[in-house]
Amino acid sequence: MNRRALLILVTIVVAAGMVFASGSSEQTAGGQKVTLTIAGRDGAYGDAMQLAADEYSKQNPNVSFEILKLSGSNLLEKTVIDLRSGTGTYDLIMIDDPIAPRMQQAGWLANLDEMYAAHNQKVDPDLINNVVKLGRYPYGDSGTLYALPHVGNVELFAYRTDLAEKYGYSSLDKWDQVLELAKKMKAGESDVTPILFRGAKGNPIVTGFLPIYWSFGAKILDNGKPAFNTPQAKNALDFFLELSKYAPNGVSMYQSAQVRDALYSGAGGVAIEVWPGWIGDLDNPEKSKVVGKVKVTNHPGEVNPSSPLIGVWLLGIPKDSKNKEEAFKFLQFVTSKAMQREIADKTGIPPTRVSVHKDSALVEKYPWYPAELQGLETGVARPRTDYWSEIETALGGFLQQALIGDLTAAQALEQTQQKVQEIIQ
Amino acid sequence: MQTTYRLKGNAFYYIIFAPAFLLILFLTIYPVFSVLVNSLYKYNFLSEGKTFIGLHNFKQILGEGIFRTAFVNTVIFSLVATITEATLGVALALLFYGRFAGKRAAMTTVIFPMMISTMVICAIWKTMYHYDIGVLNYLLTSLGFGRVGWLTDQSIALVSVMIVDVWQWTPFAFIIVQAGLNSVPTELFEAAHIDGAGYFGTLFHITIPILANQILLVFLLRTIDTFRIFDKVYALTQGGPGNATETVSYFIYREGFSFFNLGRASAASVYTLLVIAVIATLYIRNILKEES
Repeated sequence: MNRRALLILVTIVVAAGMVFASGSSEQTAGGQKVTLTIAGRDGAYGDAMQLAADEYSKQNPNVSFEILKLSGSNLLEKTVIDLRSGTGTYDLIMIDDPIAPRMQQAGWLANLDEMYAAHNQKVDPDLINNVVKLGRYPYGDSGTLYALPHVGNVELFAYRTDLAEKYGYSSLDKWDQVLELAKKMKAGESDVTPILFRGAKGNPIVTGFLPIYWSFGAKILDNGKPAFNTPQAKNALDFFLELSKYAPNGVSMYQSAQVRDALYSGAGGVAIEVWPGWIGDLDNPEKSKVVGKVKVTNHPGEVNPSSPLIGVWLLGIPKDSKNKEEAFKFLQFVTSKAMQREIADKTGIPPTRVSVHKDSALVEKYPWYPAELQGLETGVARPRTDYWSEIETALGGFLQQALIGDLTAAQALEQTQQKVQEIIQ
Repeated sequence: MQTTYRLKGNAFYYIIFAPAFLLILFLTIYPVFSVLVNSLYKYNFLSEGKTFIGLHNFKQILGEGIFRTAFVNTVIFSLVATITEATLGVALALLFYGRFAGKRAAMTTVIFPMMISTMVICAIWKTMYHYDIGVLNYLLTSLGFGRVGWLTDQSIALVSVMIVDVWQWTPFAFIIVQAGLNSVPTELFEAAHIDGAGYFGTLFHITIPILANQILLVFLLRTIDTFRIFDKVYALTQGGPGNATETVSYFIYREGFSFFNLGRASAASVYTLLVIAVIATLYIRNILKEES
């Protein structure tokens, strides 16, 4: 290769490098062409994001999308590595609400308050305030906004109304009633497993347990210190273990698919934990054997009123995104009333707006919307701590050991207390 | 004069090999060194804090019941799965020795599990293991036995994961042993036969000693691989029920990618590295001894 050819080759390589190094924006005759890269979830979440992206591209032909549809753990790994290295690969990321404080604290997300101010706008008060708070740091009404609520996930409670009525219950307002009903179903219904929940270790079992735990008056952290060694916590776990006697054999490995299958096939009586994404087809005769027989509602209370767990997915803009302005416009678009309504209608993804929850056509389609709205407005967020993943894993491990009889309730709570103490230290 | 000439000749080879050598050094030594260094720090990737704490991570995780359980499970898994796979691999190779009708089709079928993605295999087995609708429990109940909690019973879950590994990787042992077996001259077996050796006499005094290196290789590779067992645990049990299927790799994954505690994850990785290094050294020394 002579020097001239080498020079041409180097020039081409450098030019190509400059083009690609300039990010995903380029000037065209029609205006600034932008590709927004979104790190999001798979399944219906991915469908919802795709729907919004396609609609946005229709309205803004210069904007195209690359959407990564990832599992929860994969999403966390990818986004943390990118945010930490500051490469700005992603323009928008979906964030599970308990992980948000760490990202906000690390300064990895763009300040949305500043972006709203730059556009002379404010957060739409139609977005449910209790979940908007989850995107603020410090947590609360006055914290700085780093993310907007995109998916209004909240834990719900489902039970067979036909069986409840058969045994004399018009509603289930207290956990004690749930236990009584379970006993009656066990005695009277040979083909129905009275209680359903996810018993797999870690997040699943913790999520199923927390509405009981909180409604019995127990706390995870009290003034920043672990609070698993209280009488309330003991009562809650004793109750949970008593209830689990009416759960299926092998519940310790139950995940959402097993709970859903049992509920849809009519093999389950009461699901102490369901999520909006699981229940969309309960009244679809092609997929469900219990059409019109299952009520989806808020959890019973005990010492405290109904205490469902909020599991909102937020959307944030990485500080190092190369397309922050366009990402901000899309963020407003995807969380707008019209788009949330469209997404809810077509994909079943729960909205985060009051007005969409009150839309009469949607309420007819999704009768649990009033309960969902109440859950989002009054539900309990997981503790805003840097160590939630570790705490959840520890609690989830010991809980499952109690469930399978390896530990007593007192031992499980004591060991959780010690482990969480170590984690926090 | 001749020495200078040889050095010059060698220098040329050193120079052309140097970039590749440096690259290999960078890709192998650097990550190991980096893990060693990180293991000495309290280092959380999320919070960006990095504090030197010496051997504290090593002491701390060794003191944790879950790590000790994970370590014991890993050793049991590795031993049982490796021995079973090697034994079945040898048995299959002997079964397939010689010519017979349909050999090619049968071999393809036997090797098939090795070619499927582990996640697909786990999805299939998870369905087969299902307590209520799984085919295994269906067969058991059809034969009048009770159902088994393949993945839900603490005393069986690890065995269930082993079965999947054995199903997937026995073909690998089979291929290696069969390659060794095919390289043995048939005259050797014929001579033994003429001298009056029976099947088992030939097997234990001729075949297996000749295949010793291949069998050792299977043991080496499968021990290393099974000691790092992660994917099947992740897909089938996530370490449960309880801690029945916790393994060291799953512990490392959780520390590293769920909690982003890179210091603790690195310390656990160093333990794994040490064990694998010892096992590999023992095997390799044995293989070299055999060769010499």
